[in-house]
Amino acid sequence: MRKNGRVQPGNLGSPTQSLGRRMLKNWELYLFMTPALLYFLIFHYGPMYGIQIAFKNFTPVKGITGSPWVGFDHFERFFNSYYFWDLLWNTLSLSFYELAIGFPLPIILALAFNEIRNGGFKKTVQTVTYAPHFISMVVMAGMIITFLSPSSGIIIRMIEAFGINAPDFLSDPRWFKTVYVISGVWQSTGWGTIIYLAALAGVDPQLHEAAIMDGASRFKRVLHINLPTIIPTITILLILNMGNVLGVGYEKVLLLQNNLNMESSDVISTFVYRSGLVSAQYSFSTAVGLFNSVINAIMLIAVNRIAKRTSDTSLW
Amino acid sequence: MQKSKKSWVMLLAAAMLITLLSGCGGSGNKNEQGSAAGGSSAASTVSKDGFPIVPEPITLTMMAPDVGLQNWENMAVLQEMEKLTNIRFEFKNAPKDSFETKKNLVFASGDYPDVFYAAGLTPAEQMNYGEQGILIPLEDLIEEYAPNFKKVLDENPNVRKSITAPDGHIYSLPVVEFNQPWYRNPLWYNGDFLKALNIDKLPETTEELYTYLKRVKEEDPNGNGVADEIPLSSTNNLRDIRTWLLGAFGVYEEEIYVDDADVVHYTPMEEGYKGYLAFLNRLWNEDLLDHESFIQTAEQKKAKAQNNQVALFSDWHAYMTLGGEPSTDDPMFAPVKSDMVDKPVIAMNRGITTGAFAISNSNPAPEASMRWVDYIYSYDGALMFNKGPEGILWEYTDKANLVKQYLPVPGGGDREDYRATITPNYGIPAPTISFDDIYKGLKTDFETWVDIESKTKLLDQGARIPFPTLFLTPEQQTEVTTLSSDLTTYVRQMEAKFVTGAESLDNWDSYVQTVKKMGGDRMQEIYQEAYNTWKSN
Amino acid sequence: MTTIRESRSDKLFLIINYVYLLLALVVVLYPLVYIISASISNPKLVSSGEMWLFPKGLTLDGYKLVFDNPKIWIGYRNTIFYTVIGTLLNLAVTLPAAYALSRSDFVGRHFFMGMFLVTMFFSGGLIPTYLLVKNLGLINSVGALILPVAASVWNIIVARTFFQSTIPKELQEAAHVDGCTNIRLFLKIVLPLSSPIIAVMALFYGVGHWNSYFPSLIYLNDDMKYPLQMVLRQILVLQEMSAETTGAAISGDIAQAMANKAEIAALVRYAVIIVSTLPVIAVYPFLQRYFVQGVMIGSVKG
Repeated sequence: MRKNGRVQPGNLGSPTQSLGRRMLKNWELYLFMTPALLYFLIFHYGPMYGIQIAFKNFTPVKGITGSPWVGFDHFERFFNSYYFWDLLWNTLSLSFYELAIGFPLPIILALAFNEIRNGGFKKTVQTVTYAPHFISMVVMAGMIITFLSPSSGIIIRMIEAFGINAPDFLSDPRWFKTVYVISGVWQSTGWGTIIYLAALAGVDPQLHEAAIMDGASRFKRVLHINLPTIIPTITILLILNMGNVLGVGYEKVLLLQNNLNMESSDVISTFVYRSGLVSAQYSFSTAVGLFNSVINAIMLIAVNRIAKRTSDTSLW
Repeated sequence: MQKSKKSWVMLLAAAMLITLLSGCGGSGNKNEQGSAAGGSSAASTVSKDGFPIVPEPITLTMMAPDVGLQNWENMAVLQEMEKLTNIRFEFKNAPKDSFETKKNLVFASGDYPDVFYAAGLTPAEQMNYGEQGILIPLEDLIEEYAPNFKKVLDENPNVRKSITAPDGHIYSLPVVEFNQPWYRNPLWYNGDFLKALNIDKLPETTEELYTYLKRVKEEDPNGNGVADEIPLSSTNNLRDIRTWLLGAFGVYEEEIYVDDADVVHYTPMEEGYKGYLAFLNRLWNEDLLDHESFIQTAEQKKAKAQNNQVALFSDWHAYMTLGGEPSTDDPMFAPVKSDMVDKPVIAMNRGITTGAFAISNSNPAPEASMRWVDYIYSYDGALMFNKGPEGILWEYTDKANLVKQYLPVPGGGDREDYRATITPNYGIPAPTISFDDIYKGLKTDFETWVDIESKTKLLDQGARIPFPTLFLTPEQQTEVTTLSSDLTTYVRQMEAKFVTGAESLDNWDSYVQTVKKMGGDRMQEIYQEAYNTWKSN
Repeated sequence: MTTIRESRSDKLFLIINYVYLLLALVVVLYPLVYIISASISNPKLVSSGEMWLFPKGLTLDGYKLVFDNPKIWIGYRNTIFYTVIGTLLNLAVTLPAAYALSRSDFVGRHFFMGMFLVTMFFSGGLIPTYLLVKNLGLINSVGALILPVAASVWNIIVARTFFQSTIPKELQEAAHVDGCTNIRLFLKIVLPLSSPIIAVMALFYGVGHWNSYFPSLIYLNDDMKYPLQMVLRQILVLQEMSAETTGAAISGDIAQAMANKAEIAALVRYAVIIVSTLPVIAVYPFLQRYFVQGVMIGSVKG
């Protein structure tokens, strides 16, 4: 009924009314928008002229507008890099791998939380799983390296206790992405449940009561009442995540990267970071950032279109 | 559908409009008026020698990286300087770890401090900001107002060459440290292992080194009955041991070096580098090189060493890795040679770091600023900035011969921590010069022993600077930056593969072809040109 | 909610559920215990792998170093202040906008939505933003820390989705029929029904402010205004300078000073985590009660 944003309940303004009338009717809603609108205009659209340095050779003294134009030079440098395709592949595969594992888990965990009554146990599990979110990347990476150290790591020793030869998690390029993704899941699953927990609070208890009357099992009710309630949230988050597929950050990757696993661990952001080490390259990193944004935006628009066709929920 | 398309168009139009509007108000109109007007009037009152520097107190602003142990206003050294010179500084410091970011913003926003202190300005920054007039040329000021620093330049013509930008101007003063010879932290032998294996002569060739490491592996020098010894351990992807072992194959440095015939080499394509790879690969195959060398942290390496497992390793001093007190029982690694050369080549520290001090065009008193910093290049000034004024951390026992002794630290804390609250020159690349005389009487027996080790094993064996500190022209700089990001990645990745055997050295030729294709030859050419220019100046 | 009698399959389901959560608890708990233990253990035993669960070689040096720093309490105070003010501003900007965007009868919502979304992808970068903040005269003030992050598109979208899917349409209609204005509707009916999303937004924004250091790093000059994260970073940096000494030409004094610190660096790293995150973790259990199922929707409808 909400399809394409056209709702026509009697009093809310019918499409036959003129545009002006409909706007006037809800004039307060524009008031509601004003703070956010001002914020985005001033703090986001205001500085946006900075994007042009992607097409310029930026030097601080000449300033953003005064620096000379160089066209697509910086983009060409990036595309012509020996490693361009590797970087793109590594970034995309890491992103999708992370999404495939990391996206469903918070949903399952939130549904599980929702099934137990409030009490000490629930509070404890919830708080404990939430805590890793706050561990800094440096400490996180330090722990990963310590736990996976071939000579002393606790995980290695546990694997070897079963008589299995532990793989070289830290140096084998084939393992890098898994280590990255699994540790990420450990760190962010609990935090990821919060949003779904809030959405689950919106479940109508009457539906459950009715279902119990009909003799539906708990599992059935989770599947047919709770899950559908949070589907809009899931859809929206999926769309937003797809709009960030090239956004793999550099910090953690860099900390887990070494010359042995480089071929699978080098991503766009670490490449840019390394280029900037020699000298601050505003223009080059802006150009790469712009490339990322364009790809990300295309992904988001595409996924949103699919969502719109197949479900009630979409960004616009 | 139709509706949403329309709103996208509207949106785009709005975005463009705003972009255009704000573009007009953006930066880009920096004032270029130099300091000439304000400066010359002040110059007449700046005394050319002696203190105070200016008759009436003046206040300038300074930007520096701050390690956060003490507010700079409260540092004894800076208070003493203010009394001495009549120049007061207002500090616009940024925390050390974010200094780079803040420095870039300061340059971009046009709000320059009067002087940059310990700013670590890169050659590219010096050239850029110098050419654009943000940093003022210092050579005339040095001539007139910096007798101490001028003496350093006159005595060391190479320093002048190294700090002069391609446009002929000097935009920054350097850190000068001729008495610190190490290019990288040295390698150290674990003395207990040497004793246990009855070694009375340290290895002199790669073969002897191999034999020694092999014995460590097999003969259980730590005596615990388990073959848990790690003959050679490294961290940081071999960076800490690379230079020392390259020397055995006639290669001075890991990237760029110049040989005795003034020919510049790009290491990753050299035959000597291949020899180094083959040697390390052999150590790796026989488990003589720690198989965790590419992945372990420095702390993990230390833990192994303190567990008495490691025979040869890199650190500033051996005891820092092995634990315990400073000890003269763990000798420094004496560079070894391979069959490829008659004697090992040894890299020596360049001794200068440029970009430590600069004056901006908004400085109303460049002459006074120059005199202020020049004091730090004198013995007294360097001493004060290094160890604080007399009577806090140290005192003279024999002033005529400059012999000193340390005073007890109030409260009995760590002397280095205490020092950090007295002087800014702690953990940052501050402008100064290091004289041997500063340390007279202050050195422990251990430090003296280390000096002798460096002298006999490195300096007397022909250690020299592999490649001088020099400026590239902006064009060269751009090209090197573009080439090196891919090139370095490839080279380091292949090094790891060759050493661990993931890639056979039989493929060396195709590797060299790829390096050349990626611009290895061009790197060599650029640095050769730059070296020739430097040499002919 | 009101379960009558549990069937066998329900019991089985509950047991599986408990086992699953227990498993999650253990898996997540281990590294957390490890961090706590590591923060009070001899760092050598930590990096050698000998300390793997309970503290070994007890030492409080890490905490001592953190709390010896006089700025730490000022940092706490500043952070709390910035977090409270910042979060209130975030909510004031986000919630009304999200609500307006959730209304299908709001003309122009696609335009606004698109306009916000664009900023998720395209930004002018650090320098123009810095210049803007500087020209607004916000340098070295609270404003520089909270105004440039007054709202996030991501959060607005999440809140909008919540309003869309949980506030019943009928409610709005009924309110309008009663002649209730949009402002009253929002304040008196929508907000009271939305405590879960308000809690989530407060948490997301609040944690953002709590952990933030970059804005203070570039906009603040006065170290009396530094938030906790800045103070902690300074302590850490000091300890970790030793890491840089592997390599490049550095002065003897620096290397000496830093090598002395290397030992304690790891210890401080773990202590810092605990000091900085304990308060945020302690807050969470109190927020959890806002996530209880169906607290209000039912009551309104009924």
